[in-house]
Amino acid sequence: MLELQGLTKHFGGVKALNELDLTVEEGGIIGLIGPNGSGKSTAINLICGVYGETAGTVHFRGVLMNGKPPHQRLRAGIARTFQNIRLFPELTVWQNLWVAQNSPQDISRQRFLPRWFGTTRQARKEIADLLELADLAHKGDELASNLAFGEQRRLEFARAAAARPLLLLLDEPAAGMSRQEIDDLGQRIRRLRDSGVTILLVEHMMELVMGVTEQIAVLNFGHRIAFGTPGEVQSDRAVQEAYLGTDATESGPAGGSA
Amino acid sequence: MSYYLGLVQLIGIHTLLGLSAYVLMLTGQLSLGQAGFFAIGAYSAGILTVIFELPILPALLVGACIAAFFAFLVGFPALRVKGLMLVVATIAFGEFVRLFFFNLSWRVPRDGIEVGPDSTNGFREIRYFVANGWSAWEITTFVWVFVILVMVALWWMDRSRAGAVLRAVGEDELAAQSVGINLTAVKVTAMTAGGFIAGIGGALYAHTATYVDHLTFTVLLATFAISYPILGGLSSVIGTLVAVIFIQGVLVEGLRFLGDWRNIVFGLLIIAAMNLKPSGLFDARTARILKRAASLGRRG
Amino acid sequence: MGDFDFVYITQTVGDGLLFGSTYALIGIGFTLIFGAMGKLNMTYAAASLGGAYVGLAAFTFVNAPALVVFLVSALASGIVGFIAYLTCFRFIPIHNHLAALMASIGGLFFIDEIVIHTTDGSPLTFPAMFEDVMFELGPLGIRGDLLFVFAVCIAATAGLLFVLYRSRLGLATRAVSQQDVAARLCGIDVHRTNAVTFVLAGLLGGIAGAMTAAAVGVLSPLITIPLTVKGLIVTVIGGLGSIPGAIVAGLMVGALENVFLYFRGVNERDMYVLLLLFVFLVFRPHGIFGSAISRD
Repeated sequence: MLELQGLTKHFGGVKALNELDLTVEEGGIIGLIGPNGSGKSTAINLICGVYGETAGTVHFRGVLMNGKPPHQRLRAGIARTFQNIRLFPELTVWQNLWVAQNSPQDISRQRFLPRWFGTTRQARKEIADLLELADLAHKGDELASNLAFGEQRRLEFARAAAARPLLLLLDEPAAGMSRQEIDDLGQRIRRLRDSGVTILLVEHMMELVMGVTEQIAVLNFGHRIAFGTPGEVQSDRAVQEAYLGTDATESGPAGGSA
Repeated sequence: MSYYLGLVQLIGIHTLLGLSAYVLMLTGQLSLGQAGFFAIGAYSAGILTVIFELPILPALLVGACIAAFFAFLVGFPALRVKGLMLVVATIAFGEFVRLFFFNLSWRVPRDGIEVGPDSTNGFREIRYFVANGWSAWEITTFVWVFVILVMVALWWMDRSRAGAVLRAVGEDELAAQSVGINLTAVKVTAMTAGGFIAGIGGALYAHTATYVDHLTFTVLLATFAISYPILGGLSSVIGTLVAVIFIQGVLVEGLRFLGDWRNIVFGLLIIAAMNLKPSGLFDARTARILKRAASLGRRG
Repeated sequence: MGDFDFVYITQTVGDGLLFGSTYALIGIGFTLIFGAMGKLNMTYAAASLGGAYVGLAAFTFVNAPALVVFLVSALASGIVGFIAYLTCFRFIPIHNHLAALMASIGGLFFIDEIVIHTTDGSPLTFPAMFEDVMFELGPLGIRGDLLFVFAVCIAATAGLLFVLYRSRLGLATRAVSQQDVAARLCGIDVHRTNAVTFVLAGLLGGIAGAMTAAAVGVLSPLITIPLTVKGLIVTVIGGLGSIPGAIVAGLMVGALENVFLYFRGVNERDMYVLLLLFVFLVFRPHGIFGSAISRD
């Protein structure tokens, strides 16, 4: 479904990502892990079109995505969340989902005027359902900035789902969460996968990654150093070195992931 | 009496000018070029009623559309940059328009005299209201019909999904892109709408003043345009109206006794206001959007 | 005018390049302050011309010699720059860019109105330097006054670069412009450094203002906004914050402006300069030396 070939990104002299090859099959949950600065966030930003790639290609469902702006990639089916939550703080919870209804179905189904200047019953119902799923049904009229941290994470998750993605990129969704919230998040991720969304999970929190993913790619210093099932990855020597740092000091520093 | 009606007309016209900046500010863009669109509306509509002898209504609408068209054209290159770079680009655009009308001479004979824009001497014969025997009351009503129409339209837009999308772009461009919002389309649309509204204001201005020249449309006017929404806040269009009434009705009129010194005091007032209440003039939500609008821009 | 004549064009470009050095100075001033604070000091061009007015007063009332006129202009503009810093930047929260922008626009109008008020808005003659000197260079001539302007601008730029790159003061300025938090942690007084930057830029601006007036022959409040806009354009075309960019862009704007003048006349000249900015926005939005690299 998603195919990265030789994906490379340099920031000035800093090689944030080096010739990443990765194939994500439809219907799975793929983990993308690595120490700080290994290029995980860069990879997400390249897949979404926030950065232009230095080299390499991004194919999504067989279509070349290079050069397409983020909103077109979203309409093709790639949605994301952000490591440091990026809601629209001064819009209400409801409005945050409302502005995110930009899937091709939404665009083709509604006429121009009701889409921009009114609301259809269907759009309202879908937002209500999303709020229900995110346990935010009673908070619809709150400003997003007034939500608690966990609620903001759930809202951002729901906002990404509002775009009816085929592929969802989660950028460290568990950062700052309690154990209980992480369990809850794991269930939400599985539920979304069960509804047909492919998920690429970038995460630090090993528990979550090992718990929900079916395959894991490991990055270090912008290179992919391992790929396999959680079990295989855990027993991989290169991975252990990357995380325990026996070898890392010799390779020199790489660019930090933002 | 007619003096006060003139003031009421001016307040209406400046409200349109302020609202044209308001629309753009919702998307987090600060434009110091609104005087340019205002000028385009003024000259175009004036030329249409004076040289082409059209009635006021079509002249006004065509003038506004021409202003909107140029806003659309300028939108593409200008919106490639953000923040202070956009401020510079729009100042440059406003000055370009001013210089264009400074150079524009298009004189035609009508009823035995030469009429039309006369470059440095200005455009003097925009006498549609006088020639058609409109009373000051009628003119005032005419102006305010447009002010109210635009305010209602914007108020309604603000509550629709379109309004939410504009604000979403103003709050976080990266997040807006990531939920599928086409930034260029949204910003250029806001720019175009702003140009249209400023164009209406300019067209009304030209006909109520009967005389315009390039010195009417300076950076000072553009500064007024952004001052209104800054002072009135971005929570609703009413704020802009209140700010115009305050600045034009209270400050400018109240300082009239200072004569020549008024303009000097005006600069000082702006400095004082910004030092004493750098963000207290407007609500927190406005403050947050606007601070970013004037920042480096690279940080998004 | 209008005939394409190679010698004339070369002459025109040459004159423009020489005069463009004043734009380069103004551009450097804007870019210095932008580099230090990330803000636009809209008072800058007005303050520069204000300095030139003070210099002119020195010439008119005490018949000061040329050198003194320029020194007085520079000093006066430096002082205005310091006042502008105090009134429009120092006490406004560092992250409130809009308030600073608006305050400095207020300052621009204030200075402009003071000038209009004291001169009744009428243009004043400014003494030209070496007006009657002309160097022959084959078919081309080099106007003595422009050469003088150019030489002074080069000297001023060299002086500035010396201060920036060879003194502790300059080191602090550059530290603040690159990483103000880190600079603060190293014990650099950011407010003082910023004030110094404003004064430095002001000194430069005063020279540029006096040079502009000397080359044009008059000082008028009508020059303020065009000079502000051209300074901003030079800054943007050069790449915000880039001193080499401002120099190259200043010379380029000067040269092209003269070419536009040659082909289209004085009234239309500035329009094309403004269009130039849009050409850059389309093809190179980050300017000649600006980098498009950003990562947050």
